[in-house]
Amino acid sequence: MSASVLSPGDVAPEAVKAAAPTPDIMPPVKVRKGLWGFMYRNPSIAIGGTIVLLMILMAVFAPLLWTVDPTALAPARRTREPSAMYWFGTDMLGRDVYSRVVYGARVSLIVGFAVAFFASVAGLAIGLISGFVRWADGIIMRVMDGLMSIPSILLAIALMALTRGSVGNVILAITVAEIPRVSRLVRGVVLSLREQPYVDAAVSCGTRTPVIIWRHILPNTIAPMTVQATYVCASAMIVESILSFIGAGTPPIIPSWGNIMAEGRALWQVKPYIVFFPAVFLSITVLAVNLLGDGLRDALDPRMAKRL
Amino acid sequence: MDRRTFLKAGAVAIGASGGISAPALSQGAAARTLRFVPQANLANFDPIWGTQYVVRNAAVLVWDTLYGFDDKLEPQRQMVEGEEVSQDGKTWTFKLREGLRFHDGEPVRSVDVIASLTRWMPRDPMGQLLRALNEELVAVDDRTFRWRLKAPFTKMKMALGKNATPMAFIMPERIAKTDSFTQINEYVGSGPYRFVRNEWVPGARAVFQKFDGYVPRNEPASWLAGGKRALIDRVEWVVMPDPATASAALQNGEVDWWENPITDLVPVLRRNRNIMVDIADPLGNIGSFRMNHLHPPFNNVKVRQAVMTALRQEDYMRALVGDDPALWKTLGGFFTPNTPLYTEEGGEMMKAANLERGKQLLREAGYNNEPVICIVAQDQPITKAFGDVTADLLKRLGMNVDFVATDWGTVGQRRAMKNPPNQGGWSMFHTWHAGADAINPVIYNAVRANGDGAWFGWPNVPAVEAEVPNWLAATSIEQERAAIGRLNRAAVENVVYCPTGFFVGYQAWRRNVSGIVKGPIPFVWGVSKS
Amino acid sequence: MFAYVVRRVLATIPVMAIVALFVFSLLYIAPGDPAAVIAGDQATPEDVERIRQSLGLDRPYLVRFGSWVFDIMRGDLGVSIFTNLPVVTMIKQRIEPTLSLMIVTLCLAVSIAVPMGVVAAWKVGTWIDRAVMGFAVLGFSVPVFVVGYLLAYIFALELDWLPVQGYTSFSQGFVPWIENLILPAVALGSVYIALIARITRATMLEVLQQDYIRTARAKGAGQTSILFLHALKNAAVPIVTVIGIGIALLIGGAVVTESVFAIPGLGRLTVDAILRRDYPVIQGVVLLFSFVYVLVNLAIDLLYTLFDPRIRY
Repeated sequence: MSASVLSPGDVAPEAVKAAAPTPDIMPPVKVRKGLWGFMYRNPSIAIGGTIVLLMILMAVFAPLLWTVDPTALAPARRTREPSAMYWFGTDMLGRDVYSRVVYGARVSLIVGFAVAFFASVAGLAIGLISGFVRWADGIIMRVMDGLMSIPSILLAIALMALTRGSVGNVILAITVAEIPRVSRLVRGVVLSLREQPYVDAAVSCGTRTPVIIWRHILPNTIAPMTVQATYVCASAMIVESILSFIGAGTPPIIPSWGNIMAEGRALWQVKPYIVFFPAVFLSITVLAVNLLGDGLRDALDPRMAKRL
Repeated sequence: MDRRTFLKAGAVAIGASGGISAPALSQGAAARTLRFVPQANLANFDPIWGTQYVVRNAAVLVWDTLYGFDDKLEPQRQMVEGEEVSQDGKTWTFKLREGLRFHDGEPVRSVDVIASLTRWMPRDPMGQLLRALNEELVAVDDRTFRWRLKAPFTKMKMALGKNATPMAFIMPERIAKTDSFTQINEYVGSGPYRFVRNEWVPGARAVFQKFDGYVPRNEPASWLAGGKRALIDRVEWVVMPDPATASAALQNGEVDWWENPITDLVPVLRRNRNIMVDIADPLGNIGSFRMNHLHPPFNNVKVRQAVMTALRQEDYMRALVGDDPALWKTLGGFFTPNTPLYTEEGGEMMKAANLERGKQLLREAGYNNEPVICIVAQDQPITKAFGDVTADLLKRLGMNVDFVATDWGTVGQRRAMKNPPNQGGWSMFHTWHAGADAINPVIYNAVRANGDGAWFGWPNVPAVEAEVPNWLAATSIEQERAAIGRLNRAAVENVVYCPTGFFVGYQAWRRNVSGIVKGPIPFVWGVSKS
Repeated sequence: MFAYVVRRVLATIPVMAIVALFVFSLLYIAPGDPAAVIAGDQATPEDVERIRQSLGLDRPYLVRFGSWVFDIMRGDLGVSIFTNLPVVTMIKQRIEPTLSLMIVTLCLAVSIAVPMGVVAAWKVGTWIDRAVMGFAVLGFSVPVFVVGYLLAYIFALELDWLPVQGYTSFSQGFVPWIENLILPAVALGSVYIALIARITRATMLEVLQQDYIRTARAKGAGQTSILFLHALKNAAVPIVTVIGIGIALLIGGAVVTESVFAIPGLGRLTVDAILRRDYPVIQGVVLLFSFVYVLVNLAIDLLYTLFDPRIRY
C-alpha cells in the first residue's frame, strides 16, 4: 500500500502487478506511424506534454517574456489592479505579479522534476536492495511503513522546520516523504519479476545479480517508474504550494507559485488576482503533468490501455 | 435562498428524521457574550513567565495591578488605596483598598502582594532595578506593606503600573511562590474577569467569565486606571490564524471584535455598514533593523551608518501597513512619537533615505564584500515584510546578502549566538517594539548600549549608557528631556540599531458593540453589546 | 485466521517503534530552541539556560529518549512546553473537530465518488466518463486552500448559506455541527473524491469484463443489479484499500483545511507546535496520527476476508 500526498499514483501498487509488462497480449491493431500518429492515439500525452513543454519554455525564457525583475520592490506602487502596465497587477510590496508568475514557473517546475528524479533514484535503489537482499527487506520495509504512516505533508513541514528555507531543502523534504511509495513500487516489480521463469532461468544459470538487475529487472521497472514519477512530480508541485501556505516553504526572495499565493492569500478577498494567476498556472501545470502520467500509463501498460 | 431559509430547510429535514436540533440561545445570552479575535494565539497563560503581548492582554482581565497607566501614561492608584513616601525617599508604605478579593473568594493580603512582586522582579527590567535597591519588603498588616530601599527610586509607581511586559500582576501567595522561570498552573487573580480554565483550548479559544466579587474603583476607567466595570458577562477569545478568515467571520457577524485587521482588508470592512474601523493603539510600534555589533561588517560604525543613511523608512512602512499615511510616520529618534521623551535630536541620519550617500559611506568604510547574514522570521507578518525590503535595500547598496528565511523560534535562538556570522551567528535580524514600551530607557532595553549586557547585537556605546543614570536622577521633565536628547544623539551616531519607522494598526468591531477605546491593550471593561 | 490476526497486530509494533525513534531523533537534531522562545526578548543567556534545564532539554539524547518511551508506555505523552497542559489533554480537546471533519469528509467522498466511478465505468468512453475523469484529474490539480477560499467566498460570504469558519460541537446539535463542516469537508474531500472515483472506475472496468458478469448479463440481470450487486461487491477490495490509504491524505489535508476554516483541530495543533518547537506536542500528535493510520490499515486488511472470501491466510 502506498501513502501519498496528492496524486492519482496511489493506485500504483495494485497497478504494479498489472504494469509488469506482458507485451504478448497486445492486440494487433493497425496503427498510424510517426509522431502525429502517436499523438492521435494518445491525446492525454499530446495535451499534457504540450502544456508541460510550454511551461518549461516559459520558465527557461522568462527574461525574454517582457518581464521585469520579479524581486524588485516598489512599495509606492503596491496592490495595483491588473492593467496594460502590470498585466497581472502588483503585490503587497509592489512587485510585478506577471513577472513573478513567469519566473515562479522555474522554482515550481524544478521542485516537481527534481523531487520526481531524486525520489525515483532513491526509491529504485532502496526497492532493488529490498527486493534482492532478503535479510534487509524486513528492516527496510518496516522503516518505509513507518515513514508512510506519518502524513507526508506533516513530515515535509517537520523537515522544513529543521532546516532553513531554500529550494534545495524543499526538494529534500518532499523527496524524503515520497521515497517510500517509489521504493515499494520497485520492490513489488522486483518480487513479481523474480517469479518469472526467465529470471529463474538466469539465476539457475549462475548469472550474477548485478547482471540480472541490469538485463531483466531495470528494463521492466522503467515503465511503471516513469508513470509514478509523473505523479510524484505533480504531487510535489502541490506540496510545495502547501508548504509555502503553512509558512515552511521556498524563501520569499525566490518567487514560486506556492509562495506568491501564500503571500497574497490574506488579501484574496480584496486583491484576488494575486492568488488567482499563480493558482491558475499551478493548476494547469499539475493537470498537464497528471494527464501526461495517465497517458504514459495507458501507452506503457497496454493491459490497462485497452480500457482507459 | 438566504442563510436563514437554508438553515430552516436543514432543521426541518433533521427534525423529520428525528434528529437533534440546536438549543436556541436567548437573545440576551448572545448579547452578554463578546467574541473577540486576538492578535495571536494564547499559548500559555503566565504573564510573568511569558512576555508575549497576547498573554499580557488576556492577563489584564484576570489579574489586577497595584497601579495602572492611564491614557496619559501616568501611573494611577488601582489596587492601592494610598501610599506614603518617607522624607529621604527610601521607604514606601502602601495600603491596599478594601474589598479586594481573589476569584477563589479569598481576600487579597499584603503577603500575596509581596510574593507576587518577588516573583516579578527578576523578570522585568524595572523590577531588576528595584531588586538591586531592595532592602526589605514586608507586610505591616493584612492591607499594609512597606518597602525599604537602599536609595530613592522615583519611578516606583511607574514600575508597578506600567503596561510593558511583564506587568506587576498580583496573584495569591501560593501561586506567586512559583519560581519566576517556571510556569504557574493555576490562574487565579483578583481582576474583573475570571479565567474559565476548562474551556481553554490553546491555539483556538480562551474564555473569561465576569467575576461578581470584583469591586471597581469609583473613578471613570482610563486604560489600566480607574473603575474597570465589566458590562459583558462572558468574553470568548477566538484565535484565527488566517486574516482572510477573520475578516470574513467579522463580516458575517460570527465574531464581534477583531484586534488587528491587516490594513489591506480595511476597505472591505469599511464598506460593510455593520462594522466600525478605527486605530487600535495610538502608541503604535517601532520597527527595528538590528545589527550585530560584534562582527564584520556591522562592527564597523561606518557600515552601520551607511545602512542607516540608505534606509528608507517609507519603504518599510508602505510594505507593512500600506498607502494610508495616517498609519505610519518616519522617525528621527528612537523613542515613541507623541510621548514626553520623544526627541529628534541628532536624528538627521535616520531620515536621510539617501542611497547614493550610503554607497559612498560603504566605500569609505572599506567594506570588503563580507557576507551579511540576515535571519528573517517568515511566520511574523511584520518581520516578513521588513525582511523583503531589507534584502532589496542591501542588494542595491551593494552588500553581499545571505538571506536566511526561517521562523521566529529559530531567530529567537540564533540571535543569542555571539559566534561569527558564518559559524552559527548572524549579522542582522528584524523585530519591533511596542510604542508603549519605548517610552523611557529603562523599560526600553533595545536602545541600551552596555556591551555584553545589552540586548542582542550587543552595542557598546558608553555615551548612551552615561545618560541613563542622568535620566533616572532627573527631577524635572526638562532635565529628563535633556538627558534623553543626548542619549538619542549618541545612539543615532553610533547606530545602536536602525528604526524602520513608526506604525499604528487598526481594530474593527461590529456596530452593536460600544465602548471600545484606543490603547495599547484591547480593554474589555466599559465595552457593551446590544 | 487467528494466527494471522495476531501476526498482523504484532507487525504494527516495529512500525510504531520506528516512527517513535524517527520523530524523536528528528526533533533532537532540530535547530531552534524552545527555551529561547519561552524566555522572550528580555531574557539573558543565563535565563535561557535555566529554562532549558527546567525543561530537561540539557540531558543527553538516550536519557531523554528512554524517559520519553517509558512515559508513553504509561499513557503519558508529556506536558506541552508552551501551554503547560498535558499533551493528552490537548489532544482530547481537539480530537472531536478533526474526527468530525474526517468522518463527514469520508462519508461525503464515498457517497459521491463511488457512484461517480461506477457510472463512469458503465458509460465508459462517453462524455459522462470523460467529464467524471476530467473532474477527477482536476481534483488532484488544485491546492486544497484555493478550493477552500473559493468555497468560503461563494457559499459563505456571497450567498450567506453557511458559516465562514469555526466548529460547533456535536453536543450543541446536529445542524450547527454539520453547517460548520460542509464547506471544509467539500474542500478537503475534493482530492479524496478524485482518488476514489478513479480507482472505482478502474476496478469496475476490470470486474465488468469478468466471466461471471457476462453470465449475469446473459441471465438477463438488470443493469443496476449487475453494477451494484455483482460488480461493485467484487470491486470492493481495491476501493476499500484506497479509502485506507486516504486516511494519511485526509490527515495531511486537514492541516491546511483547519487553517483556512479556523477549525480547532489536531492539524492546526500540529503545525502550531512544529513552528513553535513544542517537542512533546509534536511527538505526541505525530505518534497518534501514525497510530491511527496503522490501525485503520490493519482493520482494512482484516476486513478483506469479509469482502473477498477468496483471500485466505
